[in-house]
Amino acid sequence: MTATDPILDIAELGVWFGGLAAVSDLSLSVARGSVTSVIGPNGAGKSTLFNLISGAVAANSGRVVFEGNDVTGWPAQRINRAGLARSFQITNLFPDLEVAENLRLAAQVLEPAGRGLFPPRRSRRALAKMRSLLERFGLEAKAEELAGYLSHGEQRRLEVAMTLASEPRLLLLDEPTQGMSHGDTRDTAALIRELSSELTVLLIEHDIDLVMDLSDWIVVMHQGRKLAEGPPEVVHADPAVRRAYFGEADSHA
Amino acid sequence: MSDSVESRPGAAAGRKRPGGPFRHVGARGVAGIFLVAALVFAAVGAAAGNVFYLRLGTEALILSGLAMSVDLLLGYTGLLSLGQAMFFGLGAYASAVLLRDYHTGFWGALVLTELLVVPVAVVAGAIAIRARGVYFILITFGLAQVIGKVIYNTRWLGGSDGMVGIPVVHAPFGIFRLDLGNPVSFFLLVLAIVAVLYVALGYLMNTPFGRTLGAIRSNESRVRYLGFDPWRYKLAAYVLAGMLAAFSGALYPMLRGFVSPELMSFSMSADAVIMVILGGVGTLIGPIYGSVILIGLKTLISGWTEHHQIAIGIIFMLAVIFMPRGLIGLVARRASRVVRPEADQ
Repeated sequence: MTATDPILDIAELGVWFGGLAAVSDLSLSVARGSVTSVIGPNGAGKSTLFNLISGAVAANSGRVVFEGNDVTGWPAQRINRAGLARSFQITNLFPDLEVAENLRLAAQVLEPAGRGLFPPRRSRRALAKMRSLLERFGLEAKAEELAGYLSHGEQRRLEVAMTLASEPRLLLLDEPTQGMSHGDTRDTAALIRELSSELTVLLIEHDIDLVMDLSDWIVVMHQGRKLAEGPPEVVHADPAVRRAYFGEADSHA
Repeated sequence: MSDSVESRPGAAAGRKRPGGPFRHVGARGVAGIFLVAALVFAAVGAAAGNVFYLRLGTEALILSGLAMSVDLLLGYTGLLSLGQAMFFGLGAYASAVLLRDYHTGFWGALVLTELLVVPVAVVAGAIAIRARGVYFILITFGLAQVIGKVIYNTRWLGGSDGMVGIPVVHAPFGIFRLDLGNPVSFFLLVLAIVAVLYVALGYLMNTPFGRTLGAIRSNESRVRYLGFDPWRYKLAAYVLAGMLAAFSGALYPMLRGFVSPELMSFSMSADAVIMVILGGVGTLIGPIYGSVILIGLKTLISGWTEHHQIAIGIIFMLAVIFMPRGLIGLVARRASRVVRPEADQ
């Protein structure tokens, strides 16, 4: 299916790692304002897909079009500045910097480059963003702690908060609830629902109930390829999907 | 779940980093003590008329500029340069040639040296920063060896003997001029220069630019996903460090009246790293103390034995074992707790 107003359009994307096709011939588009989830068993190529979109890995074939711009081959920092932010499956913070400083760094991109040579307090917009994110994610009390000393759940929250700091229009969340407690997972689901009114979310998630609940559109990947896609109820009922994913990979759900 | 911390390399020893991003301000008191001690040293030296110790103290201050340049890379950006003496030596030779053969005077020598060194630093940095980790270290080492050998084999620059007969110059400051032949004047001038460099670098390292260097040190690959190109920042830090080392080097022939290939040798580069580690990595004031301590130890121990390198090596090992965060890490932990980054919170 082609979304009516796609924010992201991926065509025939492929990448090989030493002869092994991690992603091949993958086409999909993400409708603006939607929550689109990518599901599939471990090794299906979901994270590689995120790496291709965000500029972490260069594609061998195909293209990625973000808001009408062909961003294939752009360096990661340029893609970020274009309005596409990502989180990481394995928590990826600045562990020996304070929580507030992690967020300030992430928000600094909102400021003109020239502010870089003035004291940080001059970067008012970045500081305001930092404060509002500390509040929104309940990290105010931890603002001066080193990020490396937060609990796992707090680190996951900070990870998501950092991706929001640049005010992206498309957010790629790679298993945001990974390793989270039940309560934290519920909070994260509520957050994603809330975010979907502000921006477009592309989500990798193993918690199938959460995916079914949150998603407007689901893409199922299997062995680097797109197996199926559609609205949650259609995907859930698809026999091929049930065979490849729900049936044999229940333990991941 | 705080056990996840243990698996996290690079996490600081304390729960909160002492002084946070304001580490150098946390060491403000330590810097003040240094300034007072240096002024007392100058007064005593002047009263006693001891030219040897005044010049030795000036040399230690000049070398502290080189040490700060290593700290800029190692402590703030996470890049270990084992060839920083290349820039110190280039600065010294450039300044020597400019003073002796072109009579450019004090300011001319400093400014032209910087203009000559910047393109060298950009090219060397572009080569070295392409590599990561140990390869970066090896390239900085290799570049310094190559440039050092080229100068060693250039007869025009005095070959293995170096250059002698660098004229004593005056440093003009508007209406008055400082006679650099006077050891007290020269000591005070270099002290003022080091103080200005310390404050300026402290300022710069606390700007978003400087803190992005800290982010690169902490987790380089993540920086790209914040919209910043780590390569550019590392190159900027490398060029800045090169300029700082060359600036310090340019003062050297004004003090000693000669330059030699020894100034850009590996042992010089290694000394600079030792100064930083002894004093405290990532503190700026630490390297200044480290420079004075190392020069002091070398002078003291070489008065007792010819094998002073062995003694220095043992002292260095003991220092690393018993004060892993350097001298400043020992003393500034408490001082820095007082200063919190309220200014930007």
